Amino acid sequence: MLAARVDLADKVLEIAARRGTLYDYVNDVLEQAIRAESLGLTLKEILDDRWIIKSARDAGFTVIPEKTVFELIEDAYKSLGKEKMANLWYETGQWYGKYYEDIAKFEGSVKRFFWDISEFKVSKEDENVVLTCLSSKFSEAYTELFSKFLEGAMNALGYNLDESEVSKGIISLKFVKSKGK
Amino acid sequence: MMSKDTSKEMKLVRAPADLISKLSKEANLQGKTFYSYISEILEQAVRAYEMNRSLKEIIDAYEVLEIYKEAGGMFTPRDILEYLVKKVYPEDSETLQRLWYQTGRWYGVYLKEKTSNSVDAFIRLLREGRWDLNDVIVNRNHETLEFKCVSPLVSQERTLLMQTFIEGAMHSLGYKTQDKECIRGIIRLKFSI
Repeated sequence: MLAARVDLADKVLEIAARRGTLYDYVNDVLEQAIRAESLGLTLKEILDDRWIIKSARDAGFTVIPEKTVFELIEDAYKSLGKEKMANLWYETGQWYGKYYEDIAKFEGSVKRFFWDISEFKVSKEDENVVLTCLSSKFSEAYTELFSKFLEGAMNALGYNLDESEVSKGIISLKFVKSKGK
Repeated sequence: MMSKDTSKEMKLVRAPADLISKLSKEANLQGKTFYSYISEILEQAVRAYEMNRSLKEIIDAYEVLEIYKEAGGMFTPRDILEYLVKKVYPEDSETLQRLWYQTGRWYGVYLKEKTSNSVDAFIRLLREGRWDLNDVIVNRNHETLEFKCVSPLVSQERTLLMQTFIEGAMHSLGYKTQDKECIRGIIRLKFSI
């Protein structure tokens, strides 16, 4: 026997009545809790994360193996040229900036969806914003394009690029607030 | 069976002794009382129910996310991917096909190493991750396995690449392609052991 809070026990009883027996339902719940712990997480953490794929899909992202993305970009660099590719990522970034409409929301989404990024920091200081993005996994081409993506997003959020430092896996961008925004 | 202890506003719920013992140890490890630990678990069970999903489904979905992470999957803006594939495919379809096939093979090998039922794990990966697939229908009997994947939003080029990816994975898992059909947004694949 296990002791449970009355409100929870009543709710569980109500759910179980729709699904089978109380014993079986509680058994299943406890088994799943053990399964979650074996993944090194609590059920709460798993439920909190459960919407990542859905919210990423809703925002127009799709999951694809990084190797495929990097090779596709290398191919496209040759056939489309760097400038066209940079514009494509910049414009897509602008779309996301408008979609999120808020630096903190954009920052949160980048942190949640781009798990290859080991450090993503947006620091605001008066009229300036400094954005730092580090990833040991990014290819050189992908780093360049991702920096254009970030620049496009920040531009849509009302900031113009002032200084940039981009090299394989390292993006450091400094923005100033656009006039009139 | 449920009995009420009115003095402490709690109810006693019958549960398997082995599970209680495991969870009791876990509660101790986390420095929580068994009562508060169980409350947290039941709260999440209720939360899952309110999401119209079972805990099992939610953990299955989470495991798919973990497979993506571990296997080097990354979120990419769909429009960019679609654009690049459309531009590169007419010039070099062979390279792209090979790339998607090899990636599929790699996923197959990975799932074989990491999961106890690699075919089920792959089906879950397609369903939960979806790669923009709206529907993944699987019919299986002891010798064949048929996929029907539907996605009205995906281009002809990406449909073909997805088909190649699935073939790569299934070949790694020991299946042979028996029949295939692909039109924009619809993939039908039949495999045999």
